[in-house]
Amino acid sequence: MTSTTTDILRKIVFYLLIAGMALWLVFPFYWAFNSSLKNENQLAMTPATFIPRSPVTGEISITWINYQALVQNEAFLRGIVNSAIVATTTTALALVIGSFAAFALGKLRFKGKTPSLYLILSMTMFPAVAVLTGLYAIINALGIPAIPSMILTYLLFVLPFTAWVMTAFFKGLPMDLLQAAQVDGATPFQSFRLVLLPLTAPALVTTGLLAFIAAWNEYLFALTFTTIEPKARTVPVVIALFSGTVSRQEPFGEIMAASIVVTIPLLILVLIFQRRIVAGLTAGAVKG
Amino acid sequence: MTTEAAAVDKKPKKEGTSDLAKQEQRLAYLLLVPTLIVLVLIAFYPLGSVFVYSLTDRKFASGEEPTFVGLENYKNLLSMTIVELPPALDDVTGERLFDEETGEPKFVIPVEVLPREPKRYRAVTTFDLFGNRYVLGATDPNFILAVRDTLIYSVISVTLELILGMGIALLVNFSFPGRGMMRVLMLVPWAIPTAVSSRIWQWMFASTRAGVINVILLNLGIIDQPVAWLVNETFQIPAMIVIDVWKTTPFMALLLLAGLQLIPSDIYEAADVDGAGKIRQFISLTLPLLMPTIAVALVFRTLDALRVFDLFQIVLAQSRYSMASYAYYELLNGQRMGYSSAVSVLILIIIAVFAVMYIRLLGVTEDD
Repeated sequence: MTSTTTDILRKIVFYLLIAGMALWLVFPFYWAFNSSLKNENQLAMTPATFIPRSPVTGEISITWINYQALVQNEAFLRGIVNSAIVATTTTALALVIGSFAAFALGKLRFKGKTPSLYLILSMTMFPAVAVLTGLYAIINALGIPAIPSMILTYLLFVLPFTAWVMTAFFKGLPMDLLQAAQVDGATPFQSFRLVLLPLTAPALVTTGLLAFIAAWNEYLFALTFTTIEPKARTVPVVIALFSGTVSRQEPFGEIMAASIVVTIPLLILVLIFQRRIVAGLTAGAVKG
Repeated sequence: MTTEAAAVDKKPKKEGTSDLAKQEQRLAYLLLVPTLIVLVLIAFYPLGSVFVYSLTDRKFASGEEPTFVGLENYKNLLSMTIVELPPALDDVTGERLFDEETGEPKFVIPVEVLPREPKRYRAVTTFDLFGNRYVLGATDPNFILAVRDTLIYSVISVTLELILGMGIALLVNFSFPGRGMMRVLMLVPWAIPTAVSSRIWQWMFASTRAGVINVILLNLGIIDQPVAWLVNETFQIPAMIVIDVWKTTPFMALLLLAGLQLIPSDIYEAADVDGAGKIRQFISLTLPLLMPTIAVALVFRTLDALRVFDLFQIVLAQSRYSMASYAYYELLNGQRMGYSSAVSVLILIIIAVFAVMYIRLLGVTEDD
């Protein structure tokens, strides 16, 4: 009898904890969504309401003006396009260059392998801010536009990570497959392209996804490099610098709408690739 | 394919091997070259120039020829002094002054005792020791504060994230309906841009009752007046910690969860048979086996927290700096490229010290 009561009690506590956690995780998004459906007057209401209500009657009243404003906001739309270009190109470059290096590090025997591995591992911890002034000076001296500058710069943190995770994947692949290909007369490069690459496709998807998210979210360099070139701003910079077209007050309704719009695609990506993402991260971190 | 490989293994392959080995080595270098070129181009060369700039008074976007100033930038960033504050005395009677309300003794204001020549020192903070009051002065109090704030922020948020993340990992390690959904939810704060989450939290922390944090805390009776969380100096860093904990704890939990799932379940069965309690099992089985995962998560998270930029720059702008946001503002607003470079070098050194400390402390080794 008592054991079943404690069991039930335990279950209740367990689910309360889980529910509390879920609430804590989701609430900021809920609040952003709630705020994005309010107009300026509703946003200024005190105390703030947990669902959009009319300031006069107190009845539920939802508005889509923030989303309408967003659709017409050129800076925001351009930001999405810029981010897509930068993140896609960075990811593609990092995957190609990174898997070359990873193949060498994971599967080939050569002198200087351990130092190279250490170099790449230490680069994954490298604080990008340390080279901010140096990179900015080079970019200004050479007159490189902001978008290619970002693509090149993001390789600084995406490439070591890609190379490191891909090395772990390559290492895990059975060696005899490679030997078999070599014996069949394939050159090492052919065995890389025809045997190993197809096998590592899942790893490429995972790593690519993580690289894409990292590049999509980058802020420091994007902010710095677009200082004098506002048209090249990426989404994070646009959202961070969002200012009202009309009022001097920060347009939090529109900012929240933008936040929701940016979050949804990432949410979908995470939904689809959840397992892959965790596997990629743990290959990089836990087993590193 | 495997049968062919096996068949070939029987063949004599003496002359072939060294040739193959050479070919292999050449290919390896060839494959590594692009990565090395990129790293030299975007990491080592700029890093070298940052070191060089840090020894000059180079201005950003200016035609002036920079001059070599040696360690002047570093000296200005790091010069500190501690001076005892003498008690404040009445001008007329020469007696000690006391605060009328609290009855505490008064001291002279720091400006009067801090050195002004050759460089002016400004007060960073005051503290009491053995009944005396001291003031810590620095030639660049903003930088010293940025270092202090970043260290406090990093240590507290990483500690909280580790403890909470561990709790969450243990919870989610149980199977329950909705577990898959939970794991998706846990990834979302990590996946969204920090710029977005910073903006959302900035709005939630709004200083009036339009801010939801104030509404909730007022309703719970924890505060009786709305608090200006992001303006009030006492609450700025705690607010940053709350935001970071929200964003990063789930991620930490997922890393720890992955580590937990590597632990074979039969050792727990054995422990159950031996009659070891759950807490005992956690301390003497789970924790030691999870140590490598904890170590790696801790190192990566700390190094990450130390270079925090987005959150501070977006939410606090120039009212309070992190080390990285200070370097940014010195470069962009101050146009002081040399000075900003010196800040960058110091950040690099601080982070390197942490990395080495961790590696020593936790004995993180490669398992190759």
